[in-house]
Amino acid sequence: MRFLCEGWRRVRSAPALLLGVYVLTVVLALPLAITMNGLLQTHLGASLAAERAAHGVNYDWWQEFSSQATGIGTTFTPSIIGFAATLDNISSLLDHQREAVAIAGVIALYLAGWAFLAGGIIDRYARQRPVRAAGFFAASGVHVFRLLRLAIVAAIVYGWLFAYVHPWLFLEWFADRTRTMAVERDVFFFRVALYILFGTLLLIVNVILDYAKIRIVVEDRRSVLGAVSAALRFVWRRRGRVAGLYALNSLTFLVLIAIWAAIDPGANGRARIWLGFAAGQLYLLARLALKLQFLASETALFQSSLAHASYASAPVPAWPESPSAELLRQPSQP
Amino acid sequence: MVAAAAIAVSGQDGAQTPPLRQSLQANDAPEPGARSPRNASYDIEVRLDHAARTLTGKQTIRWRNTSAKPTTELQFHLYWNAWRNPESSWFRERKLARNYTAPLPDGWGAMDVGSIQLREPSGSMRDLTSQMRFIAPDDGNTQDRTAMAVPLGLSVEPNESIQVELAWTAKVPRGLARTGFIADDYFIAQWFPKLGVLEDNGWNTHQFHAPTEFYADFGVYDVRITVPSAFVVGATGRRTSRMDHGDGSMTYRYREEDVHDFAWTASPDYIDLARTFTHPSLPPVEMRLLLRPEHRGQEDRYFSATEATLKRYGEWFGAYPYGHATVIDPAFQSQADGMEYPTFFTGRARYLPSRTRQTPEMTVAHETGHQWWYGMVATNEFEHAWMDEGFNTYATARVLDEAFPDNRWELRYFGGLVPWSFPDVPYTRIDNDRMAGYRDNAEAEVPATPSFRYWPATSAIMSYNKTALWLHTLERHVGWPVMQRILSTFFERWKFKHPQPSDFFRIASDVSGQDLTWFFDQVYRSSNTFDYGVQDLLSERHDDGTYRTTVIVRRYGEATFPVEVVTRFADGHEITEKWNGLDRRAIYVYERPSRASHTQVDPRRVLLLDTAYTNNSRTLSPRAGDAGLAWAARWMVWLQDLMVTYAFLV
Repeated sequence: MRFLCEGWRRVRSAPALLLGVYVLTVVLALPLAITMNGLLQTHLGASLAAERAAHGVNYDWWQEFSSQATGIGTTFTPSIIGFAATLDNISSLLDHQREAVAIAGVIALYLAGWAFLAGGIIDRYARQRPVRAAGFFAASGVHVFRLLRLAIVAAIVYGWLFAYVHPWLFLEWFADRTRTMAVERDVFFFRVALYILFGTLLLIVNVILDYAKIRIVVEDRRSVLGAVSAALRFVWRRRGRVAGLYALNSLTFLVLIAIWAAIDPGANGRARIWLGFAAGQLYLLARLALKLQFLASETALFQSSLAHASYASAPVPAWPESPSAELLRQPSQP
Repeated sequence: MVAAAAIAVSGQDGAQTPPLRQSLQANDAPEPGARSPRNASYDIEVRLDHAARTLTGKQTIRWRNTSAKPTTELQFHLYWNAWRNPESSWFRERKLARNYTAPLPDGWGAMDVGSIQLREPSGSMRDLTSQMRFIAPDDGNTQDRTAMAVPLGLSVEPNESIQVELAWTAKVPRGLARTGFIADDYFIAQWFPKLGVLEDNGWNTHQFHAPTEFYADFGVYDVRITVPSAFVVGATGRRTSRMDHGDGSMTYRYREEDVHDFAWTASPDYIDLARTFTHPSLPPVEMRLLLRPEHRGQEDRYFSATEATLKRYGEWFGAYPYGHATVIDPAFQSQADGMEYPTFFTGRARYLPSRTRQTPEMTVAHETGHQWWYGMVATNEFEHAWMDEGFNTYATARVLDEAFPDNRWELRYFGGLVPWSFPDVPYTRIDNDRMAGYRDNAEAEVPATPSFRYWPATSAIMSYNKTALWLHTLERHVGWPVMQRILSTFFERWKFKHPQPSDFFRIASDVSGQDLTWFFDQVYRSSNTFDYGVQDLLSERHDDGTYRTTVIVRRYGEATFPVEVVTRFADGHEITEKWNGLDRRAIYVYERPSRASHTQVDPRRVLLLDTAYTNNSRTLSPRAGDAGLAWAARWMVWLQDLMVTYAFLV
């Protein structure tokens, strides 16, 4: 809990980071949203159907649009409304559903963006002092190739999980074991168990990669494999604290989506359509803050365990200084 | 009461028009004191071997030739042979539809007739076993063993009766096409050698096809079913006795009159529930529900949907006469959900129940409704699947619209196991008419094509969706009171018979008082699509301040239908034109003191078959910008959420 709070303190102390990743989300989503706007407007034309659609769900028109839609148009389903979007997307990830090419492209760009920013973000949270944009991007630049190499490792591991483990679990094993089940409840819980199993694999990889990123940045490591190995050692030796912190962060995520499900304003009426948009942006800000909270709290945990003054030897100060070096020069900082 | 009115109406119409064909076959008038001809009656004894997954049966068939011509052979359906090998026509069609999954090694089914004997007038038995041969009248597939002919060695004259006895064994398949086993559950349908239908022009005995169902004559079924004692049994008809053999097995005897099929189920898990449907002017119906334990708590939904349908179909079309109905909540993955048999049908429920009315209400209402359109009006489902499925889809949508008006859309996530309903997305009667699937496949078939020849992947669209939509269109065209009289007249004249499409078309024209041939030509004898739209709307200002408004409407589709064209002006004035819809284009010009506001083709949406309704209107103050922006913004939230979800990985 100490590191959860410490992580949250660090996130709050750097609101520009949250704003930055939010802007990245908007900037990458906007071109496709503009394209979607064009598709919808073209289909509606000068029809009276637009009048109803402007004031709420016109599902007659919606279905007609869907029946002729291609590409990103096929994703315009009721799942975009409120909490269903969250359900749909988590389900899509866990069920490994293929996305439209354009959407997959945007996701890839977004992940690349995160890989670039991660260095600066962790650096900022580790230093615990304001850095100017130049400093932030300099730190991002210093670490970007290491983090991209780590991203390649991550892609290989996730690729293996999604390309081989997931189909084996959910298509072969699930189908084989449940094909003769006559009670849906049993099938349901079997699938839940598989989600937990696959989700746990993802979480393990995720937490190791998180600490690998943190070790790369905080310890100024150049070797990605060395960082992964060090992260594995760190996670294994402090598995209780690491798992506890991850669980607390995950619990926060569950609380957050429960709140989102409860306040989802729906889309009944023009005002609610836009209220839903505004509420959705706030929810996304909260999701991004939580994503940063994971990194910040894990950084705090790592620093409290290893990258503190009494642990590390003093490095030669050189620009950009590693956070460890900076901490060694300022041992009074928490 | 409603049914009586319908009879009176049909009598009047009959006096005004040439007499309708009263029967498909020459001699299929009901037996004295019976509702139906009862010309194919079965006494069956069957034993389920739970360990071996087999049935062993013997049956006596009393059959009367109701056709106009003599016959020298009998023809049988052996439906379970569809799953005997992967080269059956059923499996070949599944492969064509890309809907083929090979059964598990223990999942294949089979039907073997061990003997067939004809009872001579003298009372002695003549063995016909060696004369049996498989036939493939539909496609000549020699690998298909789902139809069988047996020469009798004698001629059975019109109205003459014979009796044959068969002994057979069957391998129960794993759940396939609404029959089979899963775990300890059995749903047993199309399970015995069953006669085809001898019509005036010969035997009508189709092979079993993937996209179609069945066709059989009415009779009396007396069936003794022996199963392990722990099993709860449900079946067509009423249970007349139960005998415990003391050896761990039990025999249940069920009997029903004036039905054309018999199905049953057995499982140790069913919860046996009962309620009675009552109505001021309809006979009571004892409803029995065999519910799965995991669906406990959904019984009210099952019963309410059954009652809603018994009530409305009874009021609209005619009373349900059997006095009892058994509703089955089938096992998950049994493939038995959503299927109808006489007095016995299956629903569909989910472990995480829907908050909307798609399950179980829609399924239960639909299968209850089949007691009318299939059960009593016994159309040939091989050739005219639309006559039961389409009629019933249309009427079920009407029931659901009245009985459960607050329905909403629902989608399922996480492998289809977790439901989420959308309070802002109403599920309308048109959705229950299944508009969604129709749009994409409107041209798939000429509906008059025999149903078993429909393309397997789109046959349901023709039978269910298109038919429901054109019947609803017809309702909007002639009005519900007339439509109700059409359907109740059709039901009254053709219950316990086998009507043809032309029988319905004639009644529709006669009862409505208008020749509807043009309509049936469009929707039944053609695959043309309907699409009317507004090509342009112009309002030009004259120097004197008045406006010349020009409305250009188009027929984009090949099919035709009379439509209204309504133009509204800024001062609130409205002009309605009646366009016969025959030409490709119609142009209306108005000189008015004010500018046009908008124009609409078919504003009351009579023509539900119009595949593109968005183009049916045009306004001079379009709002597409507002709507597009608002919904693109909502879509963007979904996209951002997706991106943030995937960001978990980095």
